[in-house]
Amino acid sequence: MRIAVCVKHAVDEAELKAGSDGAPVLAGAACKMSTFDKNAVEEALRLKSAHSGEVVAVTAGPADARRTLKEALAMGADRGVIVGTDAPSADTSRTAGLLAAAVRKAGPFDLVICSEGSSDTYSGQVPPMLAEALGVPYVGYARKLQVDGSVARAERLLEDSVEEVEAPVPLVVSVVSEINEPRYPTLIQIMQASKKQVEEYSQDQLGVPTRPASVRVTHMAMQTSNRKRVTVEGSPEEAASRLVQALEREGVL
Amino acid sequence: MEIGRLREGVRARSKLLLKGPGGDDVLPGEAAEAVFRAASSLRPSVILLGATRNGRETASRLAAKLGWRCASEVSKVTAKAGELAAERSVYAGKVVASVACALPAVATVKTGSYQRSDAEGGTVEEADVGAVDGAVRLLSRKKKEAGGPDLKKARVIVSAGRGVKRKEDLPLLEGLARDMGGALGCSRPLSSDLGWLPEECHIGLTGVTVKPEVYVAVGISGQLQHIAGMKDSKIVVAINTDRSAPIFQASDYGIVGDLYQVVPALRKALAARKGPAPAA
Ligand SMILES: Cc1cc2nc3c(=O)[nH]c(=O)nc-3n(C[C@H](O)[C@H](O)[C@H](O)COP(=O)(O)OP(=O)(O)OC[C@H]3O[C@@H](n4cnc5c(N)ncnc54)[C@H](O)[C@@H]3O)c2cc1C
Repeated sequence: MRIAVCVKHAVDEAELKAGSDGAPVLAGAACKMSTFDKNAVEEALRLKSAHSGEVVAVTAGPADARRTLKEALAMGADRGVIVGTDAPSADTSRTAGLLAAAVRKAGPFDLVICSEGSSDTYSGQVPPMLAEALGVPYVGYARKLQVDGSVARAERLLEDSVEEVEAPVPLVVSVVSEINEPRYPTLIQIMQASKKQVEEYSQDQLGVPTRPASVRVTHMAMQTSNRKRVTVEGSPEEAASRLVQALEREGVL
Repeated sequence: MEIGRLREGVRARSKLLLKGPGGDDVLPGEAAEAVFRAASSLRPSVILLGATRNGRETASRLAAKLGWRCASEVSKVTAKAGELAAERSVYAGKVVASVACALPAVATVKTGSYQRSDAEGGTVEEADVGAVDGAVRLLSRKKKEAGGPDLKKARVIVSAGRGVKRKEDLPLLEGLARDMGGALGCSRPLSSDLGWLPEECHIGLTGVTVKPEVYVAVGISGQLQHIAGMKDSKIVVAINTDRSAPIFQASDYGIVGDLYQVVPALRKALAARKGPAPAA
């Protein structure tokens, strides 16, 4: 089975700092592989070990995104593909278009796996848009995935229900983090990852025309919190009774 | 499938019932195709969907089919002068972003960001969009057991995190919740990874958003994704052994201590309060 897995080099939200104007400083911000993409890579590797074949990690992003590709390669992906772009991440239809073109060029694939949403902007648009761009079926929010010959079966985890669905391959699937526990690469795997092949496709090569961004971010501000931040001191008993008094004063008990 | 057609003032004046795809069994791909067909003839300038998992998927596919822009999980939506503008929360709730795009556009609206309108009336029109045959087949659909409490309605929430060592210890926190007249919630790992509590108990970005009078975070480190779901609580209390845990930054009252000592002490203090007043 040939599997493409899409990964995003995402801003590490935990490291994000405010600038003097109260807006987050995105230029040069620390980045990492989007959290749930590790589940996507893990699922691709799990399917490969059950069916044999190849796992190709695909990313669209700036040159630094090679680091995220390398992480996927260290986990066990066989090769990587990067489409160089500085397009903003809010431009989801462009990202989906670039990924679709890259997947076509690097393929054919039986399965394209994505995570349900990225840990930075979490809009969840790219995987369904990718399926539309490729013109293949889409199964979103899978917490279980199985491929049997030419049929994929999945359990979709929704807010209030669980659905069992089936669809013919090739298809795009997005996974939720409940699907597996991502592996940690060993030191040897991390070293070997540098030797694996990474191909770069340019946007011209893929023939995806540049267009104005679809959704623009016009302003950003850090969420401020004005909590009291009182540390209630004392032994557990003392602290407990002081807390109860404080809550009584607040009128919430 | 029912679609509220929105006009000025965002009130559903008339409803459009799309006939074609089957009743309750519509999958997002089929819904997107049906709405796509209806939209191609009705030409609305904005299509809004709820930002549920199915809503997000339907919206994205619909936008791709129509070649329109798509904004996700927005609130404070306005559409004027040929442009849709809205707010959304990004970077795990750390940042509020204003977004804009040209009309026509599709957007998913963050659940709970608007008061539910119970305005009755209006007209219902029907439109036959023809059969929609998706490539994905639904084999079964199971409603999740509504075992958990309705956290959105709870006045007090005691929330359990990974600081709780064993599932068997949860009754301790449940007891505290009861004492305070509230319900038990949790951080994501307790429901999604450990399965100790039902999925609908998990609070945060990928779970429920709550606004109780008192939120007591017990053994929760306070990662952004968790804070995103409880930051609008009136009073936040944190109990954590780690003085530097980020939860203390997002709390009104913090006790640095072992939950296994602090929670029983708290229960005692609450019981003493309710007990007979000591003789003078
Ligand atoms: C895209 C995305 C979405 C997510 N969505 C959510 C979400 O909706 N909700 C959510 O909760 N998480 C979510 N997460 C996960 C989130 O990032 C954190 O991993 C999670 O919230 C951590 O849970 P925790 O605080 O219970 O555990 P930990 O971070 O492990 O914290 C445990 C805390 O317990 C304390 N502790 C240990 N022992 C004791 C003791 N005896 N007494 C008192 N304190 C003790 C420790 O000091 C520590 O601070 C999401 C992650 C991603 C990437």
